[in-house]
Amino acid sequence: MSDSILLRWTSEATRGLEGYRAAGGYQAARRALTELTPDQVIAMLADSGLRGKGGAGFPTGQKWKFIPREAPVKYVVVNADEGEPGTFKDRTLMEGCPHLLLEGIVIAAATIGARRAYIYLRREFHRCRHLLEEAIAEARRAGLIGDRLLGTEHSVEIVVHSGAGAYIAGEESALLESLEGRRALPRLRPPFPAQSGLYGKPTLVNNVETLCHVPAIVGLGPQRYKELGPPTLFSVSGAVRRPGVYELPLGVTLRTLIFDHAGGLAPGRRFKAAFPGGSSSTLLCESDLDVRLDYDSLRGAGSMMGSAAVIVLDDASDMVEVIARAVEFYRDESCGKCTPCREGTVWIGQILERILHGGGREEDLGLLESIAAGMTGTCFCPLGESVPPNLVLSLRRFREEYGRRLSGEARHGG
Amino acid sequence: MAAEASRRMIKLEIDGLEVAVPAGTTVYQAARAAGIDIPIFCYHDRMPPLGACRMCLVRVEKMPKLAASCTLEAADGMVVDTKGAEVVAAQRAVLELLLANHPLDCPICDKGGECPLQDQTFRYGPARSRFVETKRDFAKPIPLGPLLALDRERCIACWRCVRFGEIVAGDDALKGFARGFASEVGTPHAAPVESKFIGNTMAICPVGALTSRSYRFRARPWDNRPIPSTCTYCGVGCATWLDVRGGKIVRARAREAAGINDVWLCDLGFFGHDYVGSEERLRTPLVRRNGDLGEATWDEALGLLSAWLRYATEGGPGRVAFLGGRRLTNEDAFVAARLFGEVVGTPHLDHRVDAPSGSVGLDVRWGLCTTLKELGQADALVLVGCDITEEYPVVWLRIKAALDRGASLLVLHPGRVEVRRHAGSELVVEHGRLGEAVSLMAGAVEAARTPTLPPQHGAAGPGVGGGTWRDGIAGAAGLLSSSRRPHFIVGRLALDAPDGRATLEACARLSAACGGVVHVARGRGNDFGAQRFGLLPGDGGLDAGGILRAAAAGEIDLLYVAGCDPATAVSDREAWEAARRGVGLLVVHESFMSATAQAADVVLPTLVLPEKGGTVTNIEGRVLPLQPAVKGPGRARGDAEIFALVASRMGATITYGTSDELLDGMRAAVPELAVGEVLPPPPAPAPIGGGEPPAQEPPAQEQGLVLLRVDRLFAAGSMSGRCRGLAGVAGPPHCVVHPSDAARLGVEDGALVELAAGDALLAVVARVGDATLPGQVLLPRGYDALPVNGLPAGADGWTRVALRPLRPRTAPRAEGSP
Amino acid sequence: MSSGERGGWVGEDESARAAGLSAAARERIRGLSRLYDRRQSALIPALFVAQEEAGYLSPEALEAVAETLDLPLSEVTSVASFYTLFYLEPVGRHVIQLCTNLSCMICGCGDVARRMQEILGVGPGETTPDGRFTLRAVECLGACEEAPVMLVDEDRWPRLRPEALPGLLERYP
Repeated sequence: MSDSILLRWTSEATRGLEGYRAAGGYQAARRALTELTPDQVIAMLADSGLRGKGGAGFPTGQKWKFIPREAPVKYVVVNADEGEPGTFKDRTLMEGCPHLLLEGIVIAAATIGARRAYIYLRREFHRCRHLLEEAIAEARRAGLIGDRLLGTEHSVEIVVHSGAGAYIAGEESALLESLEGRRALPRLRPPFPAQSGLYGKPTLVNNVETLCHVPAIVGLGPQRYKELGPPTLFSVSGAVRRPGVYELPLGVTLRTLIFDHAGGLAPGRRFKAAFPGGSSSTLLCESDLDVRLDYDSLRGAGSMMGSAAVIVLDDASDMVEVIARAVEFYRDESCGKCTPCREGTVWIGQILERILHGGGREEDLGLLESIAAGMTGTCFCPLGESVPPNLVLSLRRFREEYGRRLSGEARHGG
Repeated sequence: MAAEASRRMIKLEIDGLEVAVPAGTTVYQAARAAGIDIPIFCYHDRMPPLGACRMCLVRVEKMPKLAASCTLEAADGMVVDTKGAEVVAAQRAVLELLLANHPLDCPICDKGGECPLQDQTFRYGPARSRFVETKRDFAKPIPLGPLLALDRERCIACWRCVRFGEIVAGDDALKGFARGFASEVGTPHAAPVESKFIGNTMAICPVGALTSRSYRFRARPWDNRPIPSTCTYCGVGCATWLDVRGGKIVRARAREAAGINDVWLCDLGFFGHDYVGSEERLRTPLVRRNGDLGEATWDEALGLLSAWLRYATEGGPGRVAFLGGRRLTNEDAFVAARLFGEVVGTPHLDHRVDAPSGSVGLDVRWGLCTTLKELGQADALVLVGCDITEEYPVVWLRIKAALDRGASLLVLHPGRVEVRRHAGSELVVEHGRLGEAVSLMAGAVEAARTPTLPPQHGAAGPGVGGGTWRDGIAGAAGLLSSSRRPHFIVGRLALDAPDGRATLEACARLSAACGGVVHVARGRGNDFGAQRFGLLPGDGGLDAGGILRAAAAGEIDLLYVAGCDPATAVSDREAWEAARRGVGLLVVHESFMSATAQAADVVLPTLVLPEKGGTVTNIEGRVLPLQPAVKGPGRARGDAEIFALVASRMGATITYGTSDELLDGMRAAVPELAVGEVLPPPPAPAPIGGGEPPAQEPPAQEQGLVLLRVDRLFAAGSMSGRCRGLAGVAGPPHCVVHPSDAARLGVEDGALVELAAGDALLAVVARVGDATLPGQVLLPRGYDALPVNGLPAGADGWTRVALRPLRPRTAPRAEGSP
Repeated sequence: MSSGERGGWVGEDESARAAGLSAAARERIRGLSRLYDRRQSALIPALFVAQEEAGYLSPEALEAVAETLDLPLSEVTSVASFYTLFYLEPVGRHVIQLCTNLSCMICGCGDVARRMQEILGVGPGETTPDGRFTLRAVECLGACEEAPVMLVDEDRWPRLRPEALPGLLERYP
């Protein structure tokens, strides 16, 4: 990991403020706040090609630029509600080096002119919460956050705000609802958070990893940053021998990632499929192993970059069970606002459950496709829309596994 | 939608039709304007779009996927398709999903026949379901209080009811619980719903999930005959439909009236009609013989009455007096005024029976001095001693809408009121100091700076919303300074208090300082018609208090009461009883055996307002139509008819062939009279001397708890007490004690307590809460079983009571149980 | 690693607790509301304060939160009911959150879950009769490199094996 620009910080030595500063931490913040104008910082982000790492992949420079300069009250909100199944890079960063995130927040807040930043952290990340709170206290004592930080005109307060168990709160507009103390239901957009976010004020919502890239971009300059990859964190889990977070250049192939970095599969196992960007991304099959993991290539392969969380399935996995489990997840996490997601996930789940337990009918497969079609493009937000593609793909590419269930050859759990 | 400024026209194409709409219009609205029907469930045109049900999806050229037309703003050049195969497929898919777990118990569902889900399924739905799984099932409907039943399995989670409470009523009555497929609407732990507007949620529920417990299983909509009418409870004059079946009113619904209630009603309007068909209605005249009231013919009763009238007028016309008007129509009031003014010739007429003698309310005109619409466009509203949701609930909906558009609300009250959560500034001040608070605000606004206050005002205390007077006054003054035209709504609690004059004068001063307008939120029912059609003292006439005093002194021979119940309405019961003792004959028009009727010598059974034709006048001064919905019981007659009969017995004729002729006659007195229009304000009544000089000093509290008599929307009076559900919502007669007094006096919530003032005693259930302040006890009016006017005031006009616990609470309150 | 901080009512008198929430907890909640420009933002943090003190969000605790933040009880209860980490029913002294999502499933959480249920004698969503553990099957905990993984209170236990469970649970009396 010596070349890494993010993971190099995730060591014991740089976890505390002293170590972090000794290794050059907060230099980028100092540079951004004292040597650069906000426009220059935003231009650097734009030139770096950095895109949101939460899943949507929106160009970060543009997002920052959308925040109206003249608005008197603005906020930075950090999406640390890492809940996309298979994703754990943000947790790794926060547990590894909370100051890296704080530095990114300071740069963001100073650049857009926000005086308050909230880290919306999923509640289950207890260690992150304690470390962040400690780091905030350290940084405040050191004059790195708070009033007139780093001796500049800027003042930023950072508050860690716990989520309470809701995947949908990772969707940025639902996150804002939740941060306002309400049920995490996605908002109608437009208006986008950049115009009307927290309390209706312009709000910059960025993912943890996204903000952790910012000090590197400011520190290295966008050109050098790009030459280094641009670096991307891949969370790899499932049927691999060395699951973990890998910092690799954007565009590494699925094969390289799994077999060269993540240790390949268990002996005697055969690759079956992988979610390349969390369970909301469409599965890649064996024939897709050489697809490059970047935004365009993945779109070309009918999938998406998502949160760059690669969940690997080998031939021990039963595709009907995998799909049923994924559907169960979306069913349980559906907020209930819109009809297709609320009702469709349940109905599909009931049918799959029936198929798994030997009560499947031949016409169920067509019915599943039809319900999936009815949910496609009709849901309010991406949560419900995540269900149909993998269901339909499995019905087409792995139909024989459904067939075995219908004919009673395969049993649940066997 | 978009700001008024951008009313640019947008041109788009919908289903091949060129449509032009103002900028800011949604595609759904544009389609509707073009006569194209798009199915909806969650969208309701009085609330911002939500986009949840996904029923209104359309195809828009160049958009990657189907769009919800209710949330999509129309844009120039948009090409929209609402009927194509893809759209139809999506509509069918959404409907199939909605129906998957819907019970389809339509034959036993109250919504049947007026159910949007049924209608949309008929038009857009799949013919048969492919759903073979077990449907979600909940065994029983849940009663959420006495009015509302919730059938959870019928709910399609459109969120209309929840958003109504959040957006329109601001009472957060119903909420979503759990999430996803388990999402349910309801109340915390299925407690009785706390709302004054819950009937509206039943009305806008697009399925039979929310139904009325009183209407449940009573009728099918196609069997009902809807009669347009006007609600006459509080005087806002909401337009209603009275649905009649088999000669009975089975339910009331809101009738759209843009300037008044829009499409809403309060729950008194929805559920306050059962009294009309009560078995206890008076059906025949009663005459007192040998001390007892007994049935009589109209001829007997009128004969007795006219003999007394002739006898009394022989001593001078001034020996006859008339009280009442609230429950009369404009026509009734006009005919009564002619009978007593022209035929009998007495100047002693007054409808303001419930105003304390000498109070400032008698010197000012009751009602709003702008239209409700204008009030709803205000940029600042100040409620002074006015508990708006209890007194004029639908006015609150206008205010709430104004707040949503950015207006600010300031509340000054001797306790906490329901709408306080929406107030930008809340000043809770002891009763007797409202005027002082308003004066200080006036000073602050006049000086345009923080007032210099005497030191004791700087202390924190129960005074101002937990803060200090200084902060509260400064905050409120700041809020008013930024308003173009604040509307001050001064309520009965402020006006009827011994310091009411000081409060009203301070409000006038403050209003003048900030260019505002002062409304006198006083009067109920058709008080506003009574004041315009002659039921006020004539030249040299006595007001209500004066009439009672004159009667007690033996100066009145015949007291004639119609359209009110003075025994319970007057502020001092003893004054009424002395008057009763002093008159020779008490004549009462009544529909029920009220306290006044029980004391009367002649009781004439009358129709109630839903049985009458004619007009009433609302709080704006707007004339609104009534139409007889059902026939009256037995030999009950309309009040105007009775007055005309009395006149003819006196040898005079006040009869009109048709209602138009009557209106023409009324126009002679009020030339601007036109149904639907606002009458010009009548002149303010001439101040009449004779009352005690108003006390300015706040009441000293060491002498006992200061009694605040307050109006409550839900009570159990002669009308509301006979309506299914309403009495249950109101609960038993009660008083409200502040927690600190309750602790001091050893009173727990629900205990039976005794209130004593002088020799008078009253036993009620105590509720402990912050609707009042320490040193004050709050006592709701409107319970026939609780004569709140029986506790006399002291010499300074304040009523003080000693409160003693009688028995602890015995059993938990059984609210909400079926 | 420590299991959750139990702030609040130690030393407070019984009557304060009977009123739903201790004075100290109310004060903490008021402090939280100062971190935001609108007090409703403090609702979720406040509900955690209440839950830590009362063990779960009893109707009285919800009422106390509503009162302290001056929010409608309906809103407070509605919000609490949306999130899986708020307990509207009593839970055991220790709450086990066993991840059952894809990565953990692939790595054998099914066997772990079966063994766990054998040991505890209760199924997901249930509490042991002695009130010691509540077992919950939960969605992705964001620690898939440690699959199968679970949280016991605030402690994360990685790479679970069925045979290691008895010893592990002994740490939670």
